Amino acid sequence: MEPTDEVLCERVAGRDEAAFDLLVARYQERAYRLAWSILRNAEDARDLSQEAFVRLYEAAGSFGGRAKFSTWFYRILVNLCLDHRRKNRWWQRWARDERDDPSGESLLDRQPAPGADPADALGRERASSSLWAAVDRLAPRQRAAVILRVREELPTAEIATVLRCSEATVRVHLHRALAALRKTMEKS
Amino acid sequence: MAPDDRDILDTLAQTAPAPPDVHWGRYRAELSEKLEARRARRAWWRRPVPVALSASLAGALLFFAVWGGYRNGTGTDFTALEETVLGGRLGLLQQYAVVERLDLLEELDVIRNLDRLAAGRQG
Repeated sequence: MEPTDEVLCERVAGRDEAAFDLLVARYQERAYRLAWSILRNAEDARDLSQEAFVRLYEAAGSFGGRAKFSTWFYRILVNLCLDHRRKNRWWQRWARDERDDPSGESLLDRQPAPGADPADALGRERASSSLWAAVDRLAPRQRAAVILRVREELPTAEIATVLRCSEATVRVHLHRALAALRKTMEKS
Repeated sequence: MAPDDRDILDTLAQTAPAPPDVHWGRYRAELSEKLEARRARRAWWRRPVPVALSASLAGALLFFAVWGGYRNGTGTDFTALEETVLGGRLGLLQQYAVVERLDLLEELDVIRNLDRLAAGRQG
């Protein structure tokens, strides 16, 4: 039987390298994907997700087991990403169009075509692109809340633990984010 | 949550863009390097710094103890000595006007002689 994440984390606290490798193997893709969703930059996502693993290695002893390991680890990662965004806010806004996008589209390309048929596949793709572009424009914590809900399927309580706020605050973040996204949907 | 909101979240979940591919072997190698660098940095901070700090503190304490003792024992600070003496005579200083008059009384004979000398010259 495979050891749980929590057991592995305890072993990492005792400097068990094999346990650390196993945890990295389990979480590397999720960590990178989550970091990329928040940062939208592959290099930064790689760098910060690795940094989160380094912090995990260093702080494994402080994992009290009160929350799930995944929640605790996401908290480290999301905080790193939000701090990074805060520090680089001024030039990231300026360089928003320069960020890597797997579709290779510019912001202009991502805008919905006027009069596009919603039933049309291309129209749907454009609509979803503009929706994700709107997610990019959300305030950092709103954006993190949406991404944790959508990509990691975390319940409100866990999002609150990751973002270090109350569940009510998470609901407010999600409500405001969805209101902004709804407006985008209506426009497109 | 309103149905509209659920639709938006569902749409986002279904259309979430995938991040650019990563070479996981290189990723793990970079992670190992970072971890090793951090361990080395921590080891450097952990060992020599506390030893150096303790040694400097002990050295500083020794220096002040020895230097302070030397200064108090052999130094000739006349100002400090004078202040100490004057401090001991504080009561006297408070009656300084009386002391001045007593001084004048002590010199009364000399003053009288001066008067006589002045009178002799005039005569």
